[in-house]
Amino acid sequence: MSNVERNRLAGADSTVGDLVSTGILGVAVLTFLASWVLLLQWADETATVAGLSVLKLLGVGLVVVGGGLAGLGVGSRLDYVDTAPSSTAGVTVGVVFGLLWAIVGGLAATLVLGNDAALWLPVAALVGIGGFLVSVVPREDVGSTLPVAGILLLLGGFVAVGGINAGWTWSPAWSSAEFPGSELVPILVVFGTLLGAWSAGKAKAGFGAEGRQTGAYYLVGSVVFGMLGVLALLLAFIVTNGLETMLTGASLTGGRLAVPFVGVQLPWIEFPFLLNQTGGLYVEVPGVLPAVVGTLWLVFGAITFAVPLGIGAAVFLTEYAERGRFTQVVEIATNGLWSTPSIVFGLFGLAFLVPRISGGNSIVVGQLVLGFMLLPLVLITSREAILAVPDAHRDASAALGVTKWQTIRSVVLPAAMPGTITGVILGVGRIAGETAPLLLVFGGAPYPSNFPNVLGSFQLSAQPPFVTNEALLSPASALPYQLYSTITAGVFPKEIFSNTEFGWGTALVLLLVVVGLYAVGVGSRLYFRRKLHE
Amino acid sequence: MSKTDTRDGTEQELTTTGETSEEVREAWTEYEFAGDAKLAAEALDVYYGGEQALQSVSLEIPDESVTALIGPSGCGKSTFLRCLNRMNDRINSARVEGSVTLDGEEIYSDGVNLVELRKRVGMVFQEPNPFPKSIADNISYGPRKHGDLDTGLLARLLGRDDTEAERELVERALRRAALWEEVNDRLDDNALGLSGGQQQRLCIARCLAVDPDVILMDEPASALDPIATAKIEDLIEELAEEYAVVVVTHNMQQAARISDQTAVFLTGGQLVEYGETDQIFEHPQSQRVEDYITGKFG
Repeated sequence: MSNVERNRLAGADSTVGDLVSTGILGVAVLTFLASWVLLLQWADETATVAGLSVLKLLGVGLVVVGGGLAGLGVGSRLDYVDTAPSSTAGVTVGVVFGLLWAIVGGLAATLVLGNDAALWLPVAALVGIGGFLVSVVPREDVGSTLPVAGILLLLGGFVAVGGINAGWTWSPAWSSAEFPGSELVPILVVFGTLLGAWSAGKAKAGFGAEGRQTGAYYLVGSVVFGMLGVLALLLAFIVTNGLETMLTGASLTGGRLAVPFVGVQLPWIEFPFLLNQTGGLYVEVPGVLPAVVGTLWLVFGAITFAVPLGIGAAVFLTEYAERGRFTQVVEIATNGLWSTPSIVFGLFGLAFLVPRISGGNSIVVGQLVLGFMLLPLVLITSREAILAVPDAHRDASAALGVTKWQTIRSVVLPAAMPGTITGVILGVGRIAGETAPLLLVFGGAPYPSNFPNVLGSFQLSAQPPFVTNEALLSPASALPYQLYSTITAGVFPKEIFSNTEFGWGTALVLLLVVVGLYAVGVGSRLYFRRKLHE
Repeated sequence: MSKTDTRDGTEQELTTTGETSEEVREAWTEYEFAGDAKLAAEALDVYYGGEQALQSVSLEIPDESVTALIGPSGCGKSTFLRCLNRMNDRINSARVEGSVTLDGEEIYSDGVNLVELRKRVGMVFQEPNPFPKSIADNISYGPRKHGDLDTGLLARLLGRDDTEAERELVERALRRAALWEEVNDRLDDNALGLSGGQQQRLCIARCLAVDPDVILMDEPASALDPIATAKIEDLIEELAEEYAVVVVTHNMQQAARISDQTAVFLTGGQLVEYGETDQIFEHPQSQRVEDYITGKFG
């Protein structure tokens, strides 16, 4: 056992190291957040704080983090700070730092020696190997702090002395894009602070296994925040662009609600963008009502078609069919169907359904095509949900002398309902925003002057099928289709909006409709789950 | 296989096939009791795929008493129990040969209605398995599905509402299973909120609600704590006043406490000895059974 190194269970005096690393983490987090503020343009990049421009301040933040890390690493190596490091930081860390240092070395060489591959390539390779060796050869406390500290000090120092400033732009040869310093610096600083936080997290827990776990915690946690940031950015972008269009002419009391039979008019909500037709002579504020109604009919029809079929097939596959080659083939087929591109579904609808059902674009063909797309997901998820119902329930029911079908209806399906609804929610999210097949089988006039009146169009007829519905057999508009045709149409027919403005408003309404459908789905899932557990 | 008397305490010899040299004797499994047998198995063989799980088991089970089936793991006692209400039909690879009669009627003939059979031969499982429904719905589930209770909208419109009958049935079953006092104020709560012991008594009540003749129990207390086990045991003894109760258990003390007669299954799916419980535990006829009961084997 002589080669096993043992460390004390509790560090005797780790307060200094703990304080310093907590301080570094704090600075790193603040710098990280500040970079996002700049990236999202909530603050102006030319602003100054205490006489320093914010960009330089970010550089200073990096320098502080880097200096602190270097101090921590060296202090730990010289036993000023009580830690329990492993003998090496590991090859993975070494490779990552080697690559980072190679990039740094290459950039520095091109700045000093010019853009000649024969010159900067060897420099980059040498610096990279140096970074690798510095990370791998010394003890873990030095190997996982000094390379980071070096990068941060170089980068931060370069920014802090004004090497990159707000007016500076980088236009790489391989891209026509230009990266202004006001964006480049915050992006670099974001990555730099992530590195610093990882290293400081390791140091805070005293390196070793504990340190790796803490470092990973900070890294993974910040990735989550990064993802949320991207989502928030997307939503904020759509809302800021579309809100003004959506609220054009809207007010809480400007409208009039006629009370039937009494003849009184009450003040009512006015919301022209949501409640007006898109085209037509007397429409002042063109709205998206036809598209909203069209989307709702599409989703309703697709669900009505796909959910009973999907659940029925899932019940047959799980409860009746013996597991074997047949169920495997069905499984592969459904997975394949789910990953089939939507335009292929659209083409199928155009070539097969349209001539047989309506002879032209129509709501009902759109509903069927979207239903085909929804079907595999409903089948897959309800199959999973049914398989997850414990066999004990089926045994108990059978032992009471209850038949298989009754058991499925009263025990298995209710227990599988929440899982099935989850699948339907996911699928509805996909089909509500689907555009490609609608272009082929569904869409009609780009600026419809009335919404599809499906309910009012049912008529009895003397011949089979005895009920006809002209509206279902006619083309209509849906939100994604409306968005596409508005953006590609060139000129918007009304002067009040440009077609981009109208497009943003449509996008926001589409987002709200999808969120609303989600809410309905989540609500019904909660309802069924509560029935199972309360 | 040579026949040796092992009752004088000599070591049992293992033949090359791994079987003990002792034979299963008719005399050890012939148990006489007054009245007709409620359930009778005759030369019952069960195979799972190619593997034989029961070897020619013949056993008569009297009414209004507790019959315990004991034996080591894998000896076929649960398999035998599941033959009595044809639950083995639900396992694809299982094949049953031989005969089982309920009140003299063959249950393995072609025309047997499984719904009727399982209504008369109820079953309680090892793990409590209430449905994720309310306590009252768990009890009334069986009768409703059998059409004995109808509380649907149509029935109410036609004036044949069984709501009152259902309430009475729920109360009767829960009282019978000694659970009424504990749950009568929360019949509409979900059954999954009950403790393990309460859930198991609920499962017994659910079985009683169908009004069976025979109750099969597959290690009904093995997943429960000692106090809940004691309650279940008391309940089993009470139920034996009205029903034929067949209990599989691997707990020999439990078998000794609650049963009137005991059948000992040993490895290979053989019924080795069947007789009055006192006699089995105090003077077993077979050496292998004595070894098993005294803990030398199994």
